[in-house]
Formats: sequence, C-alpha cells, structure tokens
Amino acid sequence: MLARTWTGGIFGPHMNRMDTTQDVTRRDFIKGGSVATLMTMLGGIELTARAAEAEAPAAPAAKVPKTRCAVIGLGSWGREIVSTLSRIERAEIAAVCDTYGASLKRAARSAPGAAQVQDYRKILEDDSVPAVIVATPTHLHRQIVIEALEAGKQVYCEAPLAHTIDDARAIALAARKATSQHFQSGLQLRADKHRAFVLNFIRSGARGKAVAARAQYHKKQSWRQAAPSPERELELNWRLNPETSVGMVGELGIHQLDASNWIHDALPVAVTGFGSTMLWRDGRELPDTSQLVVEYGNGVRLVQTCTLANSFEGEYEVYYGTDGTVTFLGSKSWLFKEADAPLLGWEVYARKDSFYQENGIALMMDASKQASHTQQVADVITPLQYALDNFLQTASVVKAAAEDFTETYGEDEEALKEHMASSAVPRQPGAGYLEGYQATVLAIKAHESILKNQKVELPANLFELA
Amino acid sequence: MRTTRGFIAGGLALLLASAVVTQAAEGWTEFRARPGAGSKALIEGSSNIHDWRVQGLIIGGGVEVGPNFPADAASAKPGKLDAKSTVRIPVRSLKSIKEDGSPYNAAMDDIMYGKLKMEEQKDIEFTLSTLTLKEVKDKTCLLDAEGELKVAGVTKKITLPMEMTFPEANRLKFSGQVDAKMTDFGIEPPAPAIAGGLIKTEDAIKFSFDWVVVKR
Repeated sequence: MLARTWTGGIFGPHMNRMDTTQDVTRRDFIKGGSVATLMTMLGGIELTARAAEAEAPAAPAAKVPKTRCAVIGLGSWGREIVSTLSRIERAEIAAVCDTYGASLKRAARSAPGAAQVQDYRKILEDDSVPAVIVATPTHLHRQIVIEALEAGKQVYCEAPLAHTIDDARAIALAARKATSQHFQSGLQLRADKHRAFVLNFIRSGARGKAVAARAQYHKKQSWRQAAPSPERELELNWRLNPETSVGMVGELGIHQLDASNWIHDALPVAVTGFGSTMLWRDGRELPDTSQLVVEYGNGVRLVQTCTLANSFEGEYEVYYGTDGTVTFLGSKSWLFKEADAPLLGWEVYARKDSFYQENGIALMMDASKQASHTQQVADVITPLQYALDNFLQTASVVKAAAEDFTETYGEDEEALKEHMASSAVPRQPGAGYLEGYQATVLAIKAHESILKNQKVELPANLFELA
Repeated sequence: MRTTRGFIAGGLALLLASAVVTQAAEGWTEFRARPGAGSKALIEGSSNIHDWRVQGLIIGGGVEVGPNFPADAASAKPGKLDAKSTVRIPVRSLKSIKEDGSPYNAAMDDIMYGKLKMEEQKDIEFTLSTLTLKEVKDKTCLLDAEGELKVAGVTKKITLPMEMTFPEANRLKFSGQVDAKMTDFGIEPPAPAIAGGLIKTEDAIKFSFDWVVVKR
C-alpha cells in the first residue's frame, strides 16, 4: 500500500535509471547533450554557482553529526530517497517502512542496518528516531504526517502535500502549529544551491523585466505498473486513479509550477488547462498529455506541457526577459542575452559551456554515452540530495534549539515560538509548509482545469491558510 | 499503619529541612535568566583569511544576591558583594554568524562543536566565587567576577571584568568582555586540512556578553 512511484527526470537524480515502465533511455542520452550543445551554439552563457562558492572561505572538514531518520513509503521514489540518504553523510537510516514486504526488502538493500517496519506507528513511537520522510502515495500523507507531527517528529513530506485542498490545509496547519519542529515540503528545487544562485542572478535584474515562461515535462512511460493481485494493482497504480491522483501536473509538474512561482515571486491568478489521452489507451481516466497556461497578474504567463507519450527534450524551464532568457536544464542553466542588453561585465570572462565544446559529446551519441558512463555519480549533487541533506541538518538544529531552550528556561510556549523563528535557529534552504501548501493548491486547481479543459480562477485567498 | 507513621515522619523531616533552607536563604533574592530578555554571548576571533564570530542567544542559570547586594546604582558601595551564580551556555546553541548577524556556515558550526567536545561537554559553564564592586560610574556598577570557567571540559580560574546596570525594577543586566586563548582550554586552533594547512585560525579570541536576569 505504501508505494510511491518514481518517474525519474531532473527531479530525480539519474534520468536514465528507470525501474518502472517503458522508458526510452537512448533518447535521454541524446537529449541531455543535444539541448546543452544547442544552447551553447546559440550563445548561451552557463550560469554556475562556482563564483559564489568561491567567495565563501573553505570550510575545514568536520565530523558531521548524524541524524537518525526513517523513510515511510517505499515505492520506487521512496527507495530512491533511501538510496539518496545512504549517500548523505549526516543521514543514519534507522528504519524503512512499507506495508508491502517486497518493497521493504528492496529498500533494505540501500539501508542494510535499518529496521524493517510494516506499521509506521512503530516508528512514531520510537523516540530514538527524530526525523521521518513520508513518501507514501499522496492520498495517504495526511494521516501519517499529522500523526508524525503530533508525535514530535521532524517531518519531510513529499510533494504534493495531498490530493485535496482540505488535506493539504490540514497538513500545513499542523506543521504551522508545531513551532518547535521542522517541516519540509518535498519541493526539492527550493533546496538546490544552484537554483538559489540563479535566482539571485535573476532577481539582480540580469534578465531584465519578466516577459513569459515555458516549461515541459516529457517522458514516454506508461505509469501503469504490473502487480501480482488486483488489490496490489489498485494500490500500486494510485496515480491512475482519479480518486487518489492529481495527475501529471500534480505528481510531476508541481515542481516546475512552484519554481515558476518562486522565480516570479508571485502566485498565479488563473490557470487554463487542456488534457487528452494520446497514447496510453488502457482504460485510464486521466489524460497522458496536458497543456497548461498559468497566468500571473502582471501579464506574465507560464506555459507548461506534460506528456507520457513522448520524450523529446525531456524536461526544462525557460524564463524569458527583456534583456535575456534563463534556461534550466537538469542541474545546469544558461543565460541568452538579447543583442541590445546592457553589458554585465562578467559575461566576457564567463565560460560558454566549454565542457561540451571540448568533449563534443552533444553531437555524438557514443561520446555522450561514454561521458555518462565515466561520470562519477557521487560528484552530482541532485536537488533531492540537497533537499534531504538540508532537511536533516535543519531538523537537527531545530530539535537541539527547542531542547536547549526548554531545558534552560522551562516551558514558555510564546517565548519558545519567538526563539524558534529567530536567527538563533538557522535553517537550510528548503520549502516549508506554506510553499508546500500553495504549490499543492495550484497543482490541484491546474489538474481540475485540465480535466475540465477550461479556465479556473485562483483568488488570492485560495492560497492563504486559515 | 506503619506506612502512615512513616509518611508522617517523612513529612515532618521535610518541613524541618525546608525551615533550615528558608533560614539559610533569608535576605537572599534569586534572579533567573529569562527568554527574550536580551541576553547574548559573542565570541570573536580571526584567521589569516577572515575574521569570524559566533553568537549564542541562550544563556541560562541565575544569580542569588545577598543582603549587601545593592538595589540600585545609587545605593551601591565598593566592596565584596553577596552573590552566588552559575551561568551556562549550551554549546550547540552557539552559531557562526556574519557581520550583519545572519547565519554564516553550518560546517563551521560543526567544526566548533567538535573543538568544544560538544558530545561530552554540553555546556560552557561559569561558576562565580567572588563578586567585587570596584566603583560606580554613571549609574553603572563596575565589577570583577572571579570564578571558574569550564570550556570543553577544561576548568580555569578567571577574573571577568563587567558592568552591572538596573535596566528596570526586578532586573539586572551584566555586560562584559574578556580576551582569552583557545589553547588555555586545551583547544587547538582549527587549521583545516582541506586547505592544506594554509588557513590558520588565531589562538586569541574575545568573549563578550550581555546577560539579563529577572527576579523570581
């Protein structure tokens, strides 16, 4: 029952490591290189976080304190989380949890020392496990997350928070109430250092005034998974069930929707969607292809396409401005300046994606393959890895701060709340309950719009918590 | 029956003990640290590449003041003051900060915790032995606090010059600063191996604080 499917993509660490359905991996190799090279040939300037990192003094190696955590829900995405945690120095995977035995066993391969638990309540009762990561199917989040918060756990909840606005609100309100705990929504791009670097760059005005945005998530895959029994089939394919799923835009597109809100520093006022089934005519009721127009109040619109019927160009985002265009592709970004854009200065010395030029991998599939084979996975810090690392680090700081405060001053709820919100409790970047709630609301409304093939207005109070 | 008798005897003993304690504490007043009162500890240092600073906003403990402790600056007279105090700062509440007070670097915090042996020594502690009022200047009492400072499990006798003011009724504010060396407490200044030993942290540090306590 507790199985969340991972569908890969930039929101997962390795685009080619699909373990579910009919994925066209060969295209991924071409795609990764060709778009990058094309962008370079068009004169793209790669935006890297290296300059910013260079300004910070080198941090000496320190013993990183471990944080014990548990992963609840071990579908392919949950197992990817376990695998990612196993590469994070501060993570100690104390337990893995799923009601389905086979999933438990598969997850345990990445966490050999972890307890294998079928009832999540056992984890919630275990005081030695302060942090939990909830990666169950979306419609099961509410009960588990709220019980976890009530049990005093630090909670990471995968995105979307829920499949209904009521459930999302209940989760967000419970997280807001838990002032001495850390809650992080699984909108992992918010934790990505590279994204933060580019965001500062955009906010500095280098792109000029915002004009429009475009995003796509294309991946040829069924989403339907084979199961040994009808009951298991129902559990496993919850994404295809209209009662439990918020569709492609909710399960995949939500990350791009949130990224767009973040970059535009605004919430949309309306969304118009179109959906159709173009390939997977297997009785499913949800479309496998959708187009979405997200309107911000100032005339800026994001156009997002999602499909499970085609893989061309995978997933990316493009943010157009009057002075330039910023693109995100995987963990890289480029700036394409307009001819009349003012000289920034630094771009004269900036690398014009010389990695691809020197190696020529983009235009030669075999070369691309070779590069993929020799690339050290450990060198690639994925958004998920940033998000989980940041979660554990903040969870540890928040827990310690609450304990120290209470031991020093006794119980004083108001003062504790003030202290926890202060700079004395530094938090690593990541999406909180409000960002999680707002992105979830937008995704649910976008899904509704796609199903109806019509415009849905988004009044400002829709995004406010009671 | 035996149980009842034992209970009564125990109760009497407790009452007697309480009376003794009350007698001993007569004329003494307790002030305790309170959240949000403006307490702050700052440790500053340098290295061959940049200065650094660490801040703690949780300073626990309290002060018990005796009969000769002044109620305000006007009534303060030089001499030894009746005072007992233990102050504690949780090590893990110390955070590296930038000049503007915003958080600096969690990796730096981890290094500091390692150097302060946080896993074995949860707190930095100061236990007062003698408090001497040297003079009163502009409604501020200038004090010397002698006592034992325990850092990273090493205890040293120190004299801490500080100021005491009476910001409002029922409140005492202690402020001060003192220079020290990491090596005095057995702490080897960090020289990160990752930088090939090129970055060297200075041994000297400056410790300053504001500590506000409130009458119980």
